[in-house]
Amino acid sequence: MRLRLPVGGLASILVLAACGGVGSDSGADEGSEGQIDGSITTLGFGGEDEIGMARVRAVEEAYADLDVKINSGAFDEQQFLNAVSSGNPPSLIYLPRSELGTYAARGALVPLTECIDQQSIDMGQYLDSAVAQVTYDDEVYGIPEFSSVRLLLANTDALQEAGLPADAVSVADWDQLAQSTRTLTQLGSAGIQRIGFDPKIPEFLPLWTAALGGQLVSEDGLTAQLDSPEAVQALEYTAGLVNDQGGWSEFKAFRDGWDFFGGQNQFVADQVGAFPMEDWYLDVLADVSPDAPVTALPFTDTTGVPLTYATGQAWAIPVGAGNTDAACAFAATMTSTDTWLAAAEASKADREKSGGEYLGTWTANEEADERILDEVYEPSGNAALDDAVQVVRSVQSVAVVDPPSPAAAEVKRAWEDASLRVLQGDQTAQEALTQAQEEAQTAIDEALR
Amino acid sequence: MTAGQLAALVSSVVVVLAFVYPFWWLVSASLKPREDVFDNGFWPDPLQPANYVEVWNQLPITTWLFNSLVVGVAAAVAVTVSSALVAFGFAYFDFRGRTVLFWCVLATMMLPGVVTLVPTYLLWDQLGLATTQVPLWASNLFGSAFYVFLLRQFFKSLPRDTLDAARVDGCGYLSMFWRIVVPMSKPALAITFIFEFQASWVDLLRPLVYLQDPELFTLPRGLKAVLDQFGQGGEREWELVLAANVIATVPMVVLFIIGGRYVVQGITISSGDKE
Amino acid sequence: MSVRRSRVAYAFIAPWAVGFVFLTLGPILATLFLSLTDYDALPGAETSFIGLDNYRQAFSEGTPGTALLNTGFYALLYVPLSVVIGLSMALLLRRAGRATGLLRTVIYLPVVTPPVATGILFLLLLNGQEGLINAVLGWLHLPTPFWTTDPAWIKPGIVIMSLWSVGSVAIILFAALGDVPQTLLDAAQIDGAGPWSRLRHVILPMISPALFFIVITNTIASLQLFSEVYTMYFGAQTTNPPEAALFYVVHVFEEAFTFLHMGYASALSWLLFLVIAVVTAVQLAMSRKLVFYRGDA
Repeated sequence: MRLRLPVGGLASILVLAACGGVGSDSGADEGSEGQIDGSITTLGFGGEDEIGMARVRAVEEAYADLDVKINSGAFDEQQFLNAVSSGNPPSLIYLPRSELGTYAARGALVPLTECIDQQSIDMGQYLDSAVAQVTYDDEVYGIPEFSSVRLLLANTDALQEAGLPADAVSVADWDQLAQSTRTLTQLGSAGIQRIGFDPKIPEFLPLWTAALGGQLVSEDGLTAQLDSPEAVQALEYTAGLVNDQGGWSEFKAFRDGWDFFGGQNQFVADQVGAFPMEDWYLDVLADVSPDAPVTALPFTDTTGVPLTYATGQAWAIPVGAGNTDAACAFAATMTSTDTWLAAAEASKADREKSGGEYLGTWTANEEADERILDEVYEPSGNAALDDAVQVVRSVQSVAVVDPPSPAAAEVKRAWEDASLRVLQGDQTAQEALTQAQEEAQTAIDEALR
Repeated sequence: MTAGQLAALVSSVVVVLAFVYPFWWLVSASLKPREDVFDNGFWPDPLQPANYVEVWNQLPITTWLFNSLVVGVAAAVAVTVSSALVAFGFAYFDFRGRTVLFWCVLATMMLPGVVTLVPTYLLWDQLGLATTQVPLWASNLFGSAFYVFLLRQFFKSLPRDTLDAARVDGCGYLSMFWRIVVPMSKPALAITFIFEFQASWVDLLRPLVYLQDPELFTLPRGLKAVLDQFGQGGEREWELVLAANVIATVPMVVLFIIGGRYVVQGITISSGDKE
Repeated sequence: MSVRRSRVAYAFIAPWAVGFVFLTLGPILATLFLSLTDYDALPGAETSFIGLDNYRQAFSEGTPGTALLNTGFYALLYVPLSVVIGLSMALLLRRAGRATGLLRTVIYLPVVTPPVATGILFLLLLNGQEGLINAVLGWLHLPTPFWTTDPAWIKPGIVIMSLWSVGSVAIILFAALGDVPQTLLDAAQIDGAGPWSRLRHVILPMISPALFFIVITNTIASLQLFSEVYTMYFGAQTTNPPEAALFYVVHVFEEAFTFLHMGYASALSWLLFLVIAVVTAVQLAMSRKLVFYRGDA
């Protein structure tokens, strides 16, 4: 027999909420109808870089009576839960889209239907995949920002040396890829010298599963499908690739030893043949080794159609926050096409000032993306980088994403752990994913209770 | 040179090398240009002290340093004084409930702080102090189990004769405490102060959860805001992050060099014993 | 040192007692209460009283047990090593003469090195293929395991990282060594006792209160190890946290803040409390024979 405790009762058992905390002043809360004033606070937005600061300035210019307080630093659950528990949530939170469903499912976020209506936000301007990630149970809970995709980066020198054409590492043909991997891998007595192909397992398991046409979680985020045939096959195949290259322990240790962010990175030092990677790594390469022998290729499914896996952030409004009108206006302005354009200009100017290259900004706002590429971006003359930018552009619209799930973190942990068990040789892919499936589905069911 | 002295010398050299290395790596990496930061090279080549200049200009380091200093001193002083008093109570006296109470003291160390975070926050919130620096040091006014235990052990090692002699001379307990016990316990008290200052200096969680106003940020909180850009498609300015971390460490090293002298002492007063 | 003066004693203890009642006890009882609910720290969902279900779940799931074993294994390795190495360094410091100040600062440096840097640095140092530690081991013809990726060696790797900060232990023991009366040592030497004998029969008993403190607090701290492990293997910039690195409090933290099962996390915490209390009680009981307080004569 369960005793239902009203949450209010629980709060009064602990303490009574008082003033202070992260929320806005109780004074100038709602403002008059239609007017955007008072103050708002954000949590989870770094905002210290040019792209962030330029956009915040745009908001401040648009709404002179609005006081915006950015609490800088990445989204931290401890910070957020404390603020919420004391009855003083921030006006807006900024968090990875994949985590949104967890809070939405527990009723911690305000559905944005009214907000979208009031601010006339055109949800169509955002990427479908991004909007899917912020929609839970048919309600929109977030305004998307940024879309980071994955593409294949190949070491052209290594391929040439092995006498392989660029598409030898294409993901369209898994048998061929396995073959190329074996050719490109160099094992030595002192340890691995070069990894042929790093499939990035566990991280990219969703991508590999999608390449076979499968999904780890159903579209509505409520049914785990970790033991689906596609997932099992994807895990088996990629774990096999790792085993062919020295086994997980050595493989990972070698990879950890790369000067990943530095001038002697794995492309310069010829330590890798190819691997899928997030697009921000192009910025790093442009910065520290612009002449490295890198080619960017789209990841594909097994029929050769380009495919990618996208992640990004979103603005959401916690339940109980004051001044929702202003919060909504803030989010709308931060992600509008014009604001993004201004930010892109600022970012480009900043890069050029420090002698770097501007490689475009991927905003999750399709309209903004196109205009940035047309009006702000200029090819650098470095063929590899310029081509890479075009690849990123081409795959933005074919992204798969993690559906918003009430137990996103636990589901992810389930398949990550399963992958590790397979890589370490403790279980087969089928066994591991069957176990993971049970764990994941239990977690989802628990969260919905 | 005897075998013993040789062994000591060799061990010392090994210890110095092993223990200085992490710090050396940090300083060296902080002086490198961005693409070399993780190359594990012993010496920065080229040397880029401009990293420090840029950190100083770009980040409000002075504000953060000042805040960390204020909070650190408050925390360390509060905990040293209060823990010493409480520890003396447990060490010198026999009283009803001593064992039970001491167990309660120890017990407060045994529950992971992870889950008391939210209720504790709510408590400070009810006191209206949840956005101030007060929660970062005020709980130290009531002693801390770790230092109560530490100081109790040291106090119990003091020779009873000396303390009893003071009592015979008509000293009140508090007076005896200040005039006899405290001077004899300088090393332990110095350790308490230094350790707590250090703990406060590197504490990120409490500033993160309690402080909203950037003017009040302590160093770790400020650095987090800088470091977190990396996860958001930001600037990845590793060399600046490491330089900021070195700047953050300097006051602690200075404090330790100064305070370290208090940690050395033998017994100065005892009947029948000579140092 | 037993002076029966309860009222004065209570006066000295008062600061702690006041703080305990008003600041500490409330949150502690709150978590005990929460451990009997399915609270998730968010106001939106309803919270129910579920009795001992959280505790039952802790026993039926494999993860808490694994986490506890990981943590226990680490503690068993770390605590004795920290005492031995800490004491060795303290003794070394005592003989250092003019270099004492320098050595003292040097061994404390790792303690003040920021956790950010330490975490990054150790992932580099412990790397199986490129790391400095394996380079040294290889030079000495010792085995060179994969400290960061081989499940069997991950915990020993974390022990090594923790031992870097053994300077704190050394400083405390160094201060304790200062209280060993020179007269006793001289007398022992005159009686023909060699260095080992002096160590065993004079020094160790005289510093036993400090040693006891180190053992107890290091055990309690080891069983609650969180930050270092979380930074190395679970932080935002890492992926693939290996199960071998799942320490108990890391598991508690994730349940509370990542998976939003605050009630369950509270139950897990109280179970750890029980474990620690039992271990400490055993250590306290053993100490009766082994610890010597000069003030208790």
